[in-house]
Amino acid sequence: MSTAVRRSKTLKISLGVLLLTGLGACAVEGGGGYDGDVGVGVGVGYVGDYYEPCCDGYGGWGRGYRVGPPRGYGGGPRGPGRSAPSIPSGPRGGGHSGGGHGGGGGHH
Amino acid sequence: MIRSIYVALFIALIALPAARAAGTRAPAPIELPPLVQPASGETHPGKIIWADLVTPDLKQAEQFYGALFGWTFEPIDGDNNFAIALNAGQPVGGIVQRAMKAGQQRQPAWLTFIAVRDVAAAQRSALANGGKVLSGPREYAQRGRQAVFADPDGAVFAVLASSSGDPPDVMAEPGEWIWSSLLARNTDHETGFYRALFGYDVFDLPPEDTSDNSHHVILASDDFARAGIHSLPADTVHRHPHWLNFIRVDDAAAVAVKAIALGGKVLVEPRMDRHGGQLAVIADPSGAPIGVMEWSGTEEAQGASGDQPDLPGAQKEAP
Repeated sequence: MSTAVRRSKTLKISLGVLLLTGLGACAVEGGGGYDGDVGVGVGVGYVGDYYEPCCDGYGGWGRGYRVGPPRGYGGGPRGPGRSAPSIPSGPRGGGHSGGGHGGGGGHH
Repeated sequence: MIRSIYVALFIALIALPAARAAGTRAPAPIELPPLVQPASGETHPGKIIWADLVTPDLKQAEQFYGALFGWTFEPIDGDNNFAIALNAGQPVGGIVQRAMKAGQQRQPAWLTFIAVRDVAAAQRSALANGGKVLSGPREYAQRGRQAVFADPDGAVFAVLASSSGDPPDVMAEPGEWIWSSLLARNTDHETGFYRALFGYDVFDLPPEDTSDNSHHVILASDDFARAGIHSLPADTVHRHPHWLNFIRVDDAAAVAVKAIALGGKVLVEPRMDRHGGQLAVIADPSGAPIGVMEWSGTEEAQGASGDQPDLPGAQKEAP
């Protein structure tokens, strides 16, 4: 086998290894994003990066459709068959400042 | 031949780490502020404690939400594409700017963060109950550990084990988050998923109107309502399941009008809801939906006024 042929073969093998290496690296690193069905990753710097599927309009809510919290009790024990509690209603105090949703009532 | 193999292996040894490093491109961690200052020491699993807006235009978002709610904004050290929104000086959420690829049909949205004690345990529960892990647990020095999941219906949410504790259970001030609703297709399955994940008490709410055939559930913990799960309205068959968060406002109708003037849209016109106040759903200029909700007075004042002091038909579900 001539030197030129050997070099050509070496080059081909090397390129093949490089190609496989590159593909392998992409496969390893590319799987960490958001599922395309539910959202899409838009960056790797922060865990909260995502966009939602688009953009099919919001539609209307019927007359009886309600999404708000009930006005009931909140923060006290109730027995079996109890009614739904409400959101927190107490005043802010105690020196703690809320964070984000944190200060809020309801969930917050 | 043997020499060729040696050369190939040598190249592979050099190329593999370089390729993996190039693929990772891990940026410096973002320095997120603590959720609660000073640390509260409180934990309220199931409480919704934070929200992040992901948007292609940070400045536009700041202008819109600043004018609408009076929020101010602080940049995050180490990331020019991230700002913390403040209401009366207190953090209410994050705004993350990320480019949207040309032609990409995606919608900016607020990502809902729910408190957990153990993110890894939450991940196991999510997977065991039909959810997906969209972004695995990641630690942020002062903030805590968080991860992003999709529930069985595909609605995206995040969990956060706050290293400074969870915010106390107090009434939301105007400009703060007051409520969250999950609009879903399979409410029974979704309820089971969230109950398993967060240990919620679950209350079925009766329809307030015979024209409403949808299913409404309240999720509670610590004897407080934390969120609602609601059937997607019948005429929104194409809308994907999603979480919707509400900001407390004094006048939902006025906020809706202002939102339009600021370049937003009204998605659901102001309407009276079960709590005796108006709510509306608007979209910011980038299209991200957000709710606004009135809540007048304290529970005592509301009870004295006779506005739905209780809902006797709402019964707790058997575990």
